[in-house]
Amino acid sequence: MSSRAVRTGPARSGSVRPRPSRIEPIPLFPVQSRQETAAPVVEARELWVGVHLPWLPLEALRCPPSDTPRAIVELQGQTQYIATVCERAARLGVRPGMSMAAALALTPQLEMHSRDPQREQQLLEHLAARAQRFTPRVSLVPPEGLLLEVKGSLHLFGGAEELCRSVERECLAAGVKPLLSLAPVPLAALAGARSGKGFIVTRPTHLMGHLASLPLTTLRWPPEILQRLKQIGVSTIGEALRLPRSGFARRFGKAQLAMLDRVAGRDADLRANFQLRERFRRRHELLHELEHHEAILATLEPVLQELGQFLKARQCGITRLDCVLHHRHAPHTRCILRLAAPAANARHFAKLLGEKLAALSLPEPVRSCELRSGALIPRAPATNSLWQLGEHGGGPCVEAPELIEHLRARLGHDAVYGLQVLASHCPENAWGPTDLSVRRQSAERAPWQAFQRPLWLLPVPRCLNEKEGLPRRDGGVLTLLAGPERIETGWWEGAGIARDYYVARDVHGVRLWIFRERIAPHRWFLHGVFG
Amino acid sequence: MIDTAFPLSQSAASGITGGTGVAVSAESGTGSPAPAAENIGTASSGLDQLLQHPAIWRGRSIARVQSVSTGFPALDEALPGGGWPRAGLVELLIPRFGAGELYLLLPALAALTQQHSARWCAWVSPPLDPYAPALAAHGVELGRLFIAQANSPLWAFEQSLVSGACDAVLGWAVQRALEPHARDIRRLQLAAEKGRTLGVLFRPHRAARESSSAVLRVVVEPLEDGARVTLLKSRGGHRGALDLTWTHQNENSPRSHGS
Repeated sequence: MSSRAVRTGPARSGSVRPRPSRIEPIPLFPVQSRQETAAPVVEARELWVGVHLPWLPLEALRCPPSDTPRAIVELQGQTQYIATVCERAARLGVRPGMSMAAALALTPQLEMHSRDPQREQQLLEHLAARAQRFTPRVSLVPPEGLLLEVKGSLHLFGGAEELCRSVERECLAAGVKPLLSLAPVPLAALAGARSGKGFIVTRPTHLMGHLASLPLTTLRWPPEILQRLKQIGVSTIGEALRLPRSGFARRFGKAQLAMLDRVAGRDADLRANFQLRERFRRRHELLHELEHHEAILATLEPVLQELGQFLKARQCGITRLDCVLHHRHAPHTRCILRLAAPAANARHFAKLLGEKLAALSLPEPVRSCELRSGALIPRAPATNSLWQLGEHGGGPCVEAPELIEHLRARLGHDAVYGLQVLASHCPENAWGPTDLSVRRQSAERAPWQAFQRPLWLLPVPRCLNEKEGLPRRDGGVLTLLAGPERIETGWWEGAGIARDYYVARDVHGVRLWIFRERIAPHRWFLHGVFG
Repeated sequence: MIDTAFPLSQSAASGITGGTGVAVSAESGTGSPAPAAENIGTASSGLDQLLQHPAIWRGRSIARVQSVSTGFPALDEALPGGGWPRAGLVELLIPRFGAGELYLLLPALAALTQQHSARWCAWVSPPLDPYAPALAAHGVELGRLFIAQANSPLWAFEQSLVSGACDAVLGWAVQRALEPHARDIRRLQLAAEKGRTLGVLFRPHRAARESSSAVLRVVVEPLEDGARVTLLKSRGGHRGALDLTWTHQNENSPRSHGS
């Protein structure tokens, strides 16, 4: 019996196949042991985890947990039918496919919702993004299925069973209850998950034994085809596979035959990989209009958490986050968060956003908030120091950008800057502010050591009073200590300068850097303080 | 008190070596090797360990302060721990801006920013633009330095201190309206200890009359080619005035920096 099943498996032209006299489930384990001794084990080239999410329409609504039985209704023709029921409603006897009236007659307290395909799709994509933890090859099977190719990741997650358990945990953490199964063929894995049997098959030779007993409804064929198959007494995949191929194609369509080939692994089944969205964008409708920034921040917290997950799955960070607050009448308020280094930490975002929101004045209460991320930037995870801060010279030898961002969130982006030395002999142009996000090389200090330069520079030279040709300040004549040092720039450099610089001391003993213009009227200017 | 407590090990020494009294004073306890039997050494080293316990306060010999050298040997000697504290608030009281207060700090800033794993050096609300070429010439690593212009400098000062991301934070609170009160100083001092940061707050000279919980309070007055530094308050250190001379005075020759 078992050898027959093996022989029928790889046959391609079905019309010459002998029909089995009796249809029954094929025992699996004895077959396995006998085969291992007889023939070399055929390794599967791919292994797919099929994830079926039967309660996705309900879970996508994100209703608060309660005891009321819930159901999703769908309009088919003129009548509302039950599409999905929660476990509690199922215990009360409500089944998918019932009419709404029948369900209400059965359980008057049933809470009905209509489907929200957009949110279902969002939730499915969210799950697919989380599933990329396990493998880069995730594909969506809308409206309620996922496929994960996990052959390469098995050893990372401790084998097939452990991996399936991890996938299940991940789904449950996202608030979705999954049905799983694992098979070398994607469609077979999906059919197994939809049947609720949940098998784990890692060898192609064992697949048929599990597949044969699955009902044909798991393949999602059109109802009239299923009805016709049922009329000739065929209701499982195994039975359908034993029908003559040419006759099957003629009666039930080529598409259905091709699908049978794919589910049995006779034909290649190519799946498009799920591509993550490159930006994060979520709009959060508030239940009440809010005015206080703390309350707004509190409602944004879950969205920020989601953003953190989104970034973590991609090993990316963002340097810009826009928070748009919508009002009833007034145009929306925009609050832009700029980060010195790519970050992905939800708590960090919340802290900075709190600072930003606190500084914001709102024209009207907020009705909804929207978060939009900037472009994603690949991020190398930070290394923590072994020592505590400041201990043994330890501490964050990385840039530690949190402080800079925190200050910038409150003071404005341009209020926090670094210094750099520029190659110019004109005193005003020899320095400039820089952005802190780039790690800079150490400045060349050699040429400046030779010259006396003050530690403080006035942004604009201040004209000094003079008496008998000598500059005065605070009612006393300045004493010239050193100089002159002549600094001139070329006429081609715009407003050229021609100055004689001196070091001087005022009556209080403060050393100053002053200059005298070389062109008439030879005024004296204060340009720096030595500090 | 230390000397009266010490006979314990002395009697042990006489008991073993037959009366060759070993005079080990508390001050020289770490440095002088005990010439007698080994268990004297262990006894005194045990005592040293005990005395280094942070809860024991020994007046002026509070030596276990992590510090960074000021770059002026005379000042190092006067300060507890031999330099500016690595964690704590220092107040520099200046009669007027440009009294030499920054030259006093530059060697330490240069040393801090040039360290292998240097943290940030923050300048909060400086009254003028710090001149980058001069800072670079004094050895300050500009890549580790940032400036924050804040209209509430005390907030930015405290945030920088408490974050633990800075080695040194320099803050100017010279505007009369924004002058810190005694409890603000206390708050800043705690922040500096928590973040293990050297906080330097520049205040006008008139603040010398107020009490303050800063670790160190220093008055800086300009002299001909240096500054007079008066230690108003120094936790566990000397008090009094000393005159410092800037090494960069005769700067006309490029070799005068000595760096």
